[in-house]
Amino acid sequence: MEFFLQQCVNALQWGSFYALIALGYTLVYGVLRLINFAHGDVFMVGAYLAFFVSTSLLAPDGMFGFSREVVLVLTIPLTMILTSMVGVTLERIAYRPLMRKGAHRLYVVITALMCGLILENGNLALLGASRRTLPELLDKTVYHIGGIAVTNLKLWVVFTAVLVFFALYFIVTRTRIGMAMRAVSWDRFALPLMGIPLEQVVVFTFALGSAIAGLGGLLFAMSYPVLEPYMGAMTGWKAFIAAVVGGIGDIRGAFVGGFLLAFVEVMVAAFLPSTFRDLFAFSILLIILWQRPTGIFGKPLTTKI
Amino acid sequence: MPLLKIFGLTQRFGGLQALSDFSFQMEEFQLVGLIGPNGAGKTTVFNIVSGFYKPTEGGVVFDRKPISGLKPHQITALGMARTFQNIRLWNNMTVLDNLRLAGYAWLGYGFWNAILRTKRYNQSERDIENHAREILEMMDLTDYAEEFPRNLPYGLQRRVELARALVSKPRLLLLDEPAAGLNSADVEDLIRHIRWIHEKFKLSIWMIEHQMKVVMNLCQHITVIDFGCVIASGTPEEIRNNPSVIKAYLGDDTL
Amino acid sequence: MKRYTINIFLFAAAVVLVLLAQFKAPGSDSKILDGYVLSILMLIGINCIFAVSLNLVNGYMGEFSCGHGGFMCVGAYVGSLLSVAFFSNSKLFGTALFAPYLAPFLFPLVLLGAMLAAALAGLLVALPSFKTRDDYLAIITIAANYIIISLIENIDAIGGPRGFSGMNKTINAMTDLVSLPWMLMWTLVGVYICVAVVRRLMSSTYGKGISAVCQNEVAAEMMGINTNRVKIMAFMVSSGLGGLAGVLYAHVYGYVNASSFGLLKSTEGLVMVYLGGMGSISGVLMAAVAFTLLVEVLRFVIPWLNDGLHAIHVLPDSYQLDQVWTWVFIPLMLILLMQFRPEGFLGNRELTHVFPRLKRWFTLK
Repeated sequence: MEFFLQQCVNALQWGSFYALIALGYTLVYGVLRLINFAHGDVFMVGAYLAFFVSTSLLAPDGMFGFSREVVLVLTIPLTMILTSMVGVTLERIAYRPLMRKGAHRLYVVITALMCGLILENGNLALLGASRRTLPELLDKTVYHIGGIAVTNLKLWVVFTAVLVFFALYFIVTRTRIGMAMRAVSWDRFALPLMGIPLEQVVVFTFALGSAIAGLGGLLFAMSYPVLEPYMGAMTGWKAFIAAVVGGIGDIRGAFVGGFLLAFVEVMVAAFLPSTFRDLFAFSILLIILWQRPTGIFGKPLTTKI
Repeated sequence: MPLLKIFGLTQRFGGLQALSDFSFQMEEFQLVGLIGPNGAGKTTVFNIVSGFYKPTEGGVVFDRKPISGLKPHQITALGMARTFQNIRLWNNMTVLDNLRLAGYAWLGYGFWNAILRTKRYNQSERDIENHAREILEMMDLTDYAEEFPRNLPYGLQRRVELARALVSKPRLLLLDEPAAGLNSADVEDLIRHIRWIHEKFKLSIWMIEHQMKVVMNLCQHITVIDFGCVIASGTPEEIRNNPSVIKAYLGDDTL
Repeated sequence: MKRYTINIFLFAAAVVLVLLAQFKAPGSDSKILDGYVLSILMLIGINCIFAVSLNLVNGYMGEFSCGHGGFMCVGAYVGSLLSVAFFSNSKLFGTALFAPYLAPFLFPLVLLGAMLAAALAGLLVALPSFKTRDDYLAIITIAANYIIISLIENIDAIGGPRGFSGMNKTINAMTDLVSLPWMLMWTLVGVYICVAVVRRLMSSTYGKGISAVCQNEVAAEMMGINTNRVKIMAFMVSSGLGGLAGVLYAHVYGYVNASSFGLLKSTEGLVMVYLGGMGSISGVLMAAVAFTLLVEVLRFVIPWLNDGLHAIHVLPDSYQLDQVWTWVFIPLMLILLMQFRPEGFLGNRELTHVFPRLKRWFTLK
């Protein structure tokens, strides 16, 4: 029982990462009907940015010499801003020209996949294969609750994920920009006629999604401090599966799907050899797409003649 | 025994009732019409009959076989063909290829014959080619055999679609607004062609049409539906004078 | 006779290649085509098969399969296992099933087995394709790719993540009987089979059902085409031929590892198809040749560029330009292609459409 509960705690942590990334997938898909396959790598870039920001702020002989607490507080917004700039740049130079030309959706999807590959391999080519380690920014405290060990970091991760979810839900359902985002997903062509600046909405969506991925990257790097260029690929795919499980385009779905997937994965890894984890995750994806392509929260599609 | 018999057809999409208790039957070699205001459920009827939707309730019997629940391609193989309200041709294939592909239902060979180019393959391809060219000739389309449909004027595209439906050797032809978007000269052509195929192939034809000129000219019998229910049926003359039809089309407060 | 000019020319070219690989240059100890050049030639052949088979789904059917590497992987593994079981003594299968001198005659069975297995794996993608299209299907194919690789890496008996080898014995058995450049010959035969199958399929009314599904699925279904069956057929043929590429690859290199058939391999296929033009066999063949050569050229250019840039002090001494840049360059190429010429070399036309006079010089049946 204790073992099971301990695994549940782990699942909550992983679920938070998946949820944070899945929210970005879902935001972009909800607005543009585009699967931004590069998003997992944006998450990776976020982790690297967190590394560079925090090390340069921490450097003892540097011009700042801040204490670790201050560095953490500064790193969070800086990472988010820088990562969102990466996401917006991708949109600007890769997706927007295609969208403007009215290119087939497949071309945009291919472009997204290729952008992801460029981010991964470009990172590897520029920074080399050596792994990097994020400095410890938070003192580790372990709470013991009836035999289950919970670190303060895990609590922070889960808390942040929940907080981000509610903030995002508020933005999408209650604010003007959120209303515009939902409007874009309904009818992209009518929007300019209504006086809503389409491209600003799109840029905002990308910025928001990437910022959340950057935050996820920072938290991930704090929890698992070893960074490598391909870390975003697999995690990104998993988060994507989470978004599809929940019904891509729906932020509640992404959130629930993230935790669901993490739970399944952690349980598989707990009772089977851990190499089966990916196999299970992808098999779930395949079965869901086959049987219920619109996910838990999605509405079934009908074709009209 | 009627060629097509529909009984108690009901179709719901979520909360929307598109059809309620629609019954209908037609005999072999009849040419009949289905009319009604926009959104009355006409195309839904066709979509159910041709197998694209599964009805919520009720059934369809075609040539003594129950066909509701079958896939569209199975229904086509039984001898039913249709055209579409918005033209659905294969635009990256030549007109001839479009027609040839409609012979798919009675193609006499499969994968291995195609790869190994057997005698059976050659025979079957020749048959299809001949049949397709014959139909092209009949529909005055021979000059356009190698054109791509997207480059043809609208009226011709309609005619190609009609020709394509004929290649599948149907006994019953469903025409969904064949005159939509045609100018009056094209409409005259269309009426001529439809009457001619009807006679020549001994075909049964059921059509949805808005243009009264077409319906009144061609159909021996007309069914009128509104809000998914049959409100009248009879000869063109009877329909023209039926008060509930006039009400459905023109609204309540006329006169 | 004139109609056969190009056919004869292509056949003669193949014979010349085999002869060049067979005989030694006068006054030299090694064969004229050997080692590196020979392996590049075979790789070109394999890539041609890989790209032309992918083209069936991505070009003619207009679906977006980005997991073709997975099927290549199935073909490679099943072919290798069959080959080892048939012709060599191994711990896994015990003694060889057949005498080694039968190898040249029974090798087609190995190819066939690999193709069948890969075609069956194609069902993994074909069945979900009934309900989904476009980007969702793309995800399914990627998932299938990952599933296949993960599955193979989890089977320890066939080497798991360490890979699998032992196919060299089959080749040795063949050369022991008659000393010929066997793998080059099998690759050429493979290319012929692949092109012939796709070409014949797509010029028959039966195969054109694939294009019909691509252009208007509703019309296809309504006009009597069993769209589900057509999709199964197209996916199975495509993945089966992909498996052919895999088994040849495994025998050319004598070693397979599941991780080399991941998303990067599939991406190579995509680059070749979109570079050549979706739905154009001749375009894709040209692209496969060009792409393979480009990758090889980059292999030389990158170190050369590295030295050059260091010599003029553009690059800091601590930084070395290495081969990873190939994988920055290739995706970049595809992105630029999507932006500026998404139809590739030829679009959906064949060479004969661009140069109609070619038709007089050859015949395709």
